[in-house]
Amino acid sequence: MPRPSAESLLIIPAFNEQRSIGAVIDRVRATGLDLDVLVVNDGSRDDTAELARQHGASVVSHPFNLGYGAALQTGYKYAIRHGYRQLVQMDADGQHDPAYIPSLLAPVRAGEADVVIGSRFIEASGYEMGGARTVGRVFFQRVLVWCGGPRIADPTSGLQALSRPVVRFCCSDFYPFDFPDIDVLLLLHRQGFRIREIPVTMAPSPPQRKPMHAGLRAVYYPYKMLLSTFRSMFTPRVKLASD
Amino acid sequence: MNQSTIDVEALRRLAIEQPEPASTRILALLLCSAFLVAVLVLVRRGRLREEYTPIWTVVALGTMVLSVWFDAVRMLTRAVGAWTPSSTLFFFGLVFLLTVSLNYAVRLSGLSLQVKLLAQEVALLRQQLGAAGGDGERDAAAR
Repeated sequence: MPRPSAESLLIIPAFNEQRSIGAVIDRVRATGLDLDVLVVNDGSRDDTAELARQHGASVVSHPFNLGYGAALQTGYKYAIRHGYRQLVQMDADGQHDPAYIPSLLAPVRAGEADVVIGSRFIEASGYEMGGARTVGRVFFQRVLVWCGGPRIADPTSGLQALSRPVVRFCCSDFYPFDFPDIDVLLLLHRQGFRIREIPVTMAPSPPQRKPMHAGLRAVYYPYKMLLSTFRSMFTPRVKLASD
Repeated sequence: MNQSTIDVEALRRLAIEQPEPASTRILALLLCSAFLVAVLVLVRRGRLREEYTPIWTVVALGTMVLSVWFDAVRMLTRAVGAWTPSSTLFFFGLVFLLTVSLNYAVRLSGLSLQVKLLAQEVALLRQQLGAAGGDGERDAAAR
């Protein structure tokens, strides 16, 4: 396996993101940060992969759409195989500002935290979330605490930095195909990983996008999340293999 | 006023012990035979793997036995407290179908995980091939 050119890897899971992927990579490059960029193309039917490559990112392409969580996990596996020490993940739709990457990475590099979440809600950031989603967020925030997890203001934030042991742990089969949420946070907390949040501001979701939890998924998603959080409560602590 | 009393137990016994018509037995035997033949044909054509056949063979043969030896269904009906042999058959049929469905859901979950792992591995290997000078990733994109 080739040695990485940087200590940290930025992964961007992308599904049909040809409109934004180039600009997102350019914004990351403009920060001048020393980190490699990997786009995990999750079976896009448009030119996402080609555009990402043209803008200088490495690309891993799923042969078909597997889901957001599976795309993240492919990035984790890539990071482990290539020996990266830390990993940052951000979305491909331009919601996340790469200027926060140094603040996310700093506690991980200093060994003060294993997971650092960019949170929209620990300081007033002006981020507008719909009524139903806000109710869902507060509900799951409480469920996480009731289940013995940490108090996390923004458990669904996709802007995160992870230490190598966390990345290694998330390569296991438990990791969800779709959106990792409080189920994964509870599991990481129960495994003894230190989770921290830092305030960030995020742009609103692009208006043309189909909501992630629309229609029947609005019912299915809370059900599935409660069930997988229940599962996390009973997952025994595992001894992690060392590098 | 003339009051009539109903002996519920006698009524139940009557329901259980009523003779089943020969046509019902013949129909059940024919359907079971057809089912068994369908299983064999599917295996021969390679559309059903051998390891999935035992349960269907047992069901077909079991139903054949019950069609001939209907007293077994009557005994079962008495044992579970049902009123008619048909309701006993429906009850156990439903339990069987639910169990089979759950079993297949479990198998599907396992297969989904295997497909995900394979797809991830293919993606990572293609990328590795591309980085090593091959054109794995671009070939994949072209497809």
